[in-house]
Amino acid sequence: MKILLMGHPNVGKSVFFNRLTGANVIESNYSGTTVDYTRGYMSLDGKEVEVVDVPGTFSLDPKDRAEEVAVAMLKEAKDAYVICVIDSSKLERGLYLALQIMEEGYSVIIALNMDDVAEDKNIKIDNQKLEQVLGVPVVSTIAIENIGISKVISRLKDAKPVDVEDITVMRAGMNHCGRCGRT
Amino acid sequence: MEKRLNELNFDEEGTVKEIDESLLRQVAGMGVRIGKNVRMTTKQPMKGPVVVEIDKSFTSLGRSMAEKIVVEVKK
Repeated sequence: MKILLMGHPNVGKSVFFNRLTGANVIESNYSGTTVDYTRGYMSLDGKEVEVVDVPGTFSLDPKDRAEEVAVAMLKEAKDAYVICVIDSSKLERGLYLALQIMEEGYSVIIALNMDDVAEDKNIKIDNQKLEQVLGVPVVSTIAIENIGISKVISRLKDAKPVDVEDITVMRAGMNHCGRCGRT
Repeated sequence: MEKRLNELNFDEEGTVKEIDESLLRQVAGMGVRIGKNVRMTTKQPMKGPVVVEIDKSFTSLGRSMAEKIVVEVKK
């Protein structure tokens, strides 16, 4: 089993990685700190599981070297679990990438990281509703304070491939297609 | 009134109306899509990038990208 940490640049994937594996990858408050990937191991139910810290990418259409690495990593690990780390205060654009990954048929779990930052900005997210709409587990986390990480792990087993066609945008009350940007 | 995104003045708001086909997918992942409200927050000097606010978060775009995005300016 393999777990990929994916998400936009500067959402806390590396912090997540360090918390999961006990490693000490450089974390910084800049986009693009991770240009290459890092591999680590954690134990899950007594088994050793590989965790990969993938460079940040905005979408699965790569625009630069780091994004190419990210997309290639995803493509070569077809049966991997993907923890999609999203900045809670920038939920909407994060979901764009999450949906792209789900569309490729991966088992996705969404970690709404930086919950504290979102709270500061007065953003409240209805996780249950989001989970209902998307059909994948959604967990709020604050990775730097180690909050919610164990919950993500315990819900990994609920992650399964979903058919994105089943996600009706209307159910979420949105009136345009998030995938292509057209109304 | 229509303007190119890079032509917005500081604090001016608008709705994204047109995005050049070549960038459509590229900027979608950054939150820039047709119908979105944008507000100009910073224009870096020397033809540097522009920073716009969309959905309470900031996105920076290269000047040449911003030129290919048309917005309907709010009065």
